[in-house]
Amino acid sequence: GTVTDEANGLPLPGVNVLVKGTTTGASTDFDGNYSLSLNNGDVVVFSYLGYKSKEVIYSGGSRLDVTLNEDAAQLDEVVLIGYGATTKQDATGAVEKINDERFNKGAIVSPETLLAGKSAGVRVTSGGGAAGEGSEIRIRGGASLSANNSPLIVIDGLPLDQRGGAQGTRNSLSAINPDDIEDFVVLKDASATAIYGSRASNGVILITTKKGSANAPLTVEYDLKASAASNINELDVLTADQYRGLSSISSEFNPALLGDANTNWQDQIYQTAIGAIHNLTVSKGYENFNFRVNYNHVSQQGTLLRDLYERNALNASFVQRLFDNDLKLTLTTRGILDEFFFTDQGAIGAAAQFDPTQPVRNPDGSLFQYSQIGNANLAPVNPLTLLLENQNRSNIKRFISNFNIDYRFRFLPDLKFNLNAGIDYAENDGAQFNVANPNNPGAFAFQNFYSGLNRNTLLDFYFNYKTNVESINTIVDLTAGHSYQEFYIRSDRTATGAGGVLNTFPTVINRNALESYFARASFDISDRYLISATFRRDGSSRFSPAGRWGNFPGVSVGWKIMNEPFMANSFFSNLKLRGGWGVTGQQEIGPNYGYLGVYTPALNDQVSAQFGNQFVDPLRPEAFDENLTWESTTQYNVGLDFGLFNNRLTGSIDGYYRETEDLLATIPVAAGSNLSDFLTTNVGATTSKGLELSLNGVLAKSENLNWDVNFNFTLQENEITKLNLSGDPNFFIPQGGIAGGVGNTIQLWRPGLDPLTFFVWRQVYNNQNNPIEGAYVDTNADNQITEADRQAYKKATPDAFIGLTNNFQYKNFDLSFTFRGSFGNYVYNNVASDRGNLAVVLDAPGDFQPNAHQSVLATNFRSQNLFSDYYLQRADFLRLDNATIGYNIPMEKVNLRVSLTGTNLFVITEYDGLDPEIANGIDNNFYPRARTFVLGLNFKF
Amino acid sequence: FSVLAFFQSCESNLDLQPEDNRLVGDAAFENPESYRQFLAKIYVGISVSGQEGPAGAPDLVGLDEGFSNYMRLYWKMQELTTDEALIGWNDGTIQDLHAQTWTSGNEFIRTMYSRIFYQVALTNEFLRQTTPEKLDGRGVDGNLRAEVETYRAEVRFMRALTYWHALDLYGNVPFVTENDPIGAFLPQQISREDLFTYVESELLDILDDMVAPRQNEYGRADRAAAWMLLAKLYLNAEVYTGTPRYSEVITYTNNVIGAGYVIPNIPYFHSFLADNDSNGAQNEVVFTIPFDGLRTQGFGGMTFLLHAPVGGSMNPAAFGINGGWFGIRTTPTFVEMFPGEENSADGRALFYTQGQSKDINQVGPFNQGFAITKYRNVDVNGVAGSDPTGDFPDTDFPMFRLADAYLMYAEAALRGGGGNVGTAVGYINQLRERAYGDTSGNITSGNLTLDFIIDERARELYWEMHRRTDLIRFGQFSDQGIWQWKGNVPQGTTTESFRDLMPLPATDLGINTNLTQNTGY
Repeated sequence: GTVTDEANGLPLPGVNVLVKGTTTGASTDFDGNYSLSLNNGDVVVFSYLGYKSKEVIYSGGSRLDVTLNEDAAQLDEVVLIGYGATTKQDATGAVEKINDERFNKGAIVSPETLLAGKSAGVRVTSGGGAAGEGSEIRIRGGASLSANNSPLIVIDGLPLDQRGGAQGTRNSLSAINPDDIEDFVVLKDASATAIYGSRASNGVILITTKKGSANAPLTVEYDLKASAASNINELDVLTADQYRGLSSISSEFNPALLGDANTNWQDQIYQTAIGAIHNLTVSKGYENFNFRVNYNHVSQQGTLLRDLYERNALNASFVQRLFDNDLKLTLTTRGILDEFFFTDQGAIGAAAQFDPTQPVRNPDGSLFQYSQIGNANLAPVNPLTLLLENQNRSNIKRFISNFNIDYRFRFLPDLKFNLNAGIDYAENDGAQFNVANPNNPGAFAFQNFYSGLNRNTLLDFYFNYKTNVESINTIVDLTAGHSYQEFYIRSDRTATGAGGVLNTFPTVINRNALESYFARASFDISDRYLISATFRRDGSSRFSPAGRWGNFPGVSVGWKIMNEPFMANSFFSNLKLRGGWGVTGQQEIGPNYGYLGVYTPALNDQVSAQFGNQFVDPLRPEAFDENLTWESTTQYNVGLDFGLFNNRLTGSIDGYYRETEDLLATIPVAAGSNLSDFLTTNVGATTSKGLELSLNGVLAKSENLNWDVNFNFTLQENEITKLNLSGDPNFFIPQGGIAGGVGNTIQLWRPGLDPLTFFVWRQVYNNQNNPIEGAYVDTNADNQITEADRQAYKKATPDAFIGLTNNFQYKNFDLSFTFRGSFGNYVYNNVASDRGNLAVVLDAPGDFQPNAHQSVLATNFRSQNLFSDYYLQRADFLRLDNATIGYNIPMEKVNLRVSLTGTNLFVITEYDGLDPEIANGIDNNFYPRARTFVLGLNFKF
Repeated sequence: FSVLAFFQSCESNLDLQPEDNRLVGDAAFENPESYRQFLAKIYVGISVSGQEGPAGAPDLVGLDEGFSNYMRLYWKMQELTTDEALIGWNDGTIQDLHAQTWTSGNEFIRTMYSRIFYQVALTNEFLRQTTPEKLDGRGVDGNLRAEVETYRAEVRFMRALTYWHALDLYGNVPFVTENDPIGAFLPQQISREDLFTYVESELLDILDDMVAPRQNEYGRADRAAAWMLLAKLYLNAEVYTGTPRYSEVITYTNNVIGAGYVIPNIPYFHSFLADNDSNGAQNEVVFTIPFDGLRTQGFGGMTFLLHAPVGGSMNPAAFGINGGWFGIRTTPTFVEMFPGEENSADGRALFYTQGQSKDINQVGPFNQGFAITKYRNVDVNGVAGSDPTGDFPDTDFPMFRLADAYLMYAEAALRGGGGNVGTAVGYINQLRERAYGDTSGNITSGNLTLDFIIDERARELYWEMHRRTDLIRFGQFSDQGIWQWKGNVPQGTTTESFRDLMPLPATDLGINTNLTQNTGY
């Protein structure tokens, strides 16, 4: 027979032809011909990439000619865009959907981790290796300075509190079970995000959770991921022998203070961390009703001793369709019990500082302390004291629920009404106990009891009218709606105060609200020209009535070039040009009442004025700016979507330019003009621009062999363009606090620079290429080295970053891996700069000698040289984030999949500190990211 | 209609105000105690760093909270820049203070300036909130009204004190009063001369409204405090304005001296102990900054002044504290002002020398340079203060005391302000009798020279935040006067005279386009 394309009758070469249920098959030749011997009743399956598969029953005859239809499903995939949806081929903004096939693999506890490295322009940087740790998410680098730079996250239509939806947690996103997520949609440019108005400057991530589907059989699924994690690197502090050797380097070194042990303190504080994630899911779909219920249990240790995170969550969704599917009711609800056993991370720094010649324990079994040697009030405490005796436990009960009504009007089927009511409610409760500092006889144990409540309530609705106006060959899609959202946060705290007495702090309550009107009009003309305009009007309680309302418009256009007649015989299988413009805002500034003159009573009675024999607690007027208003960001985006080789290679290129004005920044205020030295106010401007490329290649697609490769590449540049009124080019604000002395900073904000630019002295080296202590380049040639010689140099923000995902499947085997890389970023090694000198050993304030960083052996520095660019290192990296091998064990009624995943398998980098991937570029006391091996078992009945 | 009503109710939901114990506008003053609490804020503006002790809700955020305390910063400005003190720490640009190599980017100079203008803004806000119109509007009358009037005078004194620090340190600074709003505006710059005139006029204007000398509550300023500040202003008038005003110094020091303060008949070191509010030392003190180990806590103020100078082999328990911070020592230049140096018969020579070298070859190690044991958190019987942890002291800081008035009187007399040199010698000998325990250290009128005065001021008032101002008045601060590590060289060298004024911080110049930098920076 011959296989041809139904659309144009051309033969299709390379079509798979297979007798169903057998291994008998063939493939078409260049002219679309194949030959195969068949029996009557055989079902023949024709499959071809980019085309819908076809099954034909053989009923005799010498030829079986078949035509195949192009499969437009890939392009017709529905993509949420906020208060509505579109299809991939009609999307005009920089919008990317990432579904579970592309998610990161591993023992993943928190949803944002699924996304790392998966989308151009999106950077997800975990905060470290602590159990249940969160990540910093940046879409296109973040538009603001002091205000929030995290994207707005919307779960099933409920925008989460950008400050985090709960207190007492390491990561408020951990309330969402990663296993429960159907897909992410990342809205990157302003034409796409403007519908979210005042919270959209940093992009929006829409998360859709799994709902089950109609007419589906009862499915029971159990998934287990058991993990073991251990650190792959440790801080380069002096070993006991190296430390003893300091006596040959410095006569000031006091060998009398040495012990006779050889302790690697880092070995003492870390462990192999064990974890398990269980998911039990039941789902079933009837004709009008479907449900999905998931129970999730997580127990994850961190590699630091006694660091544990536990989660028990019940996630359920119910969908009911009524009146011939005109009314659809969806309830998604999740109840989460989070429990953190925070271990004292001060142990990381204490282990780096502790004398390696001292024993962990005394002969009597008690933990060694410096105070046993002499006066050591300011000495580090034995790291094991911090880990074993201090406790801090936090419980969070959280409930996130969303009820959605979607109604199609019977009398006017093109008109729909959608109502969404959501709540995110969290109560937290924590207790901390720290032992009295064993080096300080007068010290008290510290107790801290903290509790709070976060409540985020939402009510929004919209009308949608979508119709095809045939007279002008245009599909018109109109949406208009209203939204009201309120955030309420309460915090209480009772902690040890003066004299060791428990002191109850005043309750702090913060409430803020947003009210919004929004509308969108989209036109698809002749299936070629797309125009979409959105508008949102937001009112925020954080601004005075005069400056409260802001308007946020967005417009985008698209040209489906592929549908033009002249493209009929083109080399492309898809081609679409997009362009967009939009204005978005920012109001996530921290203070809720920043425009009001607020008076704060004293928080405790330890700052009282003595008047005679009385102590009077002070009343403080707070700084405020009556004229506080929206930060606004304008963004332009141009994009091209393309498909080649029958969409075996698809991709997008996006270029953007973004300008933020009336930047909400916490900056020094003109002295005397306000009631603090810094004020959150509208000042300054930033710009950013970037280029994003994503490519998706299908290297093989057949029944037995599938191979997808996804690659994304991002180039970006952020710049502060204005910080103050005077326009003084030398004006800067120090940023980036570091360890080593108090109040030292290593970065700066200055117009013309990236916000994470370092500010250093340029080190002078001798002929042997060793740094000369205290010798720096006299950049202003005034013959002295002062702060004026410090230069802006390098930055922590990468110029470029990439992600590479590979999914390979052969029969029942599958293999996938993800690489992630970052280029042009630098890290300041604060561990080395703080401790890589003799002063930290010799000038300790008491009868003790702390340990130093090994770099002292190379530099021989007597003192700290904190601002030397010697400590600034190139931190480009390429990381194998994860690799998974899986096998589906074919069984009759049960699907069983077994997999083995390794995460953080290796990092290629020149950086010689612990880890090159540090969000703000300052590496100090970093909780190491462990390497984890995960055994996964998945049963599906 | 119901839809409209729904929208209406939503929009009014955007008018949100604090629902906890924070208050807005007039509501903040419904409680009559609030005026006294606001006054308390202005007084503790010098001693603590925020609304939570010892730290947690800072007033200023540009520098570590403990470092940002008014008294700690003012002490550093006035002492670390001189021969009386140097510090071994590595905190930001702190070393540039003693080296006299600071630039307009120095964060200590910047935060001192921020702290000064924070205090000015607080006092302005108090005055705005207590105008007759506001008080009428809130129905404040009777005793409370009279009390608030007194508070207003004290607040204006506190503002004058702070503006004096501003004109002494920075000269030409932004100028704001209660007539300016709160906001993000750019204040105008005032010249040093005009600010001098303003401070003088303010102090003269409030004299009648201030409580009579020694009649106010402990810890609050009285008329004598204002006289003392006037005397200090006039003593330095030649530096500030080019016009000497020594006769006024005589007038106002006479007022203070005649107000009943006495040099107590107790050893000098008792004045700097935990019980210096009750051991007799208080009888000399014109204006004090009180501290309490349990009720007035912070990491600045006396906490700093008690911990930072303790280190080496010093026994923290002897100082009533839990441990030293291994920071501050003094230079040989200061040690050598005492005859016999560390073994001086002068009881004011409170040095700790065991394990300490007199010379300073390296700034970092604590054991280089003699330590000073002037301030201690123990009472006359050696019992430690009220905070059982040993973190926070009870020792009060005597900002103005009679000895200073005596020395100012003597100096003004020598500089031609009138007065009587014989009387001056009598005053000085009162101080020296306390110092020596007998008359062996007494001087004669022949000894009383300006050179003697500057050294005697150091011996009597060292580490009490006078030294920089004194050295500048005597022309010894920058282009003359050498001590170790001045100019950032071990043996010390002179610096340029423009350093007699601190730079305006680069940040404020970058923000406030009305400002012009001081010459030389």
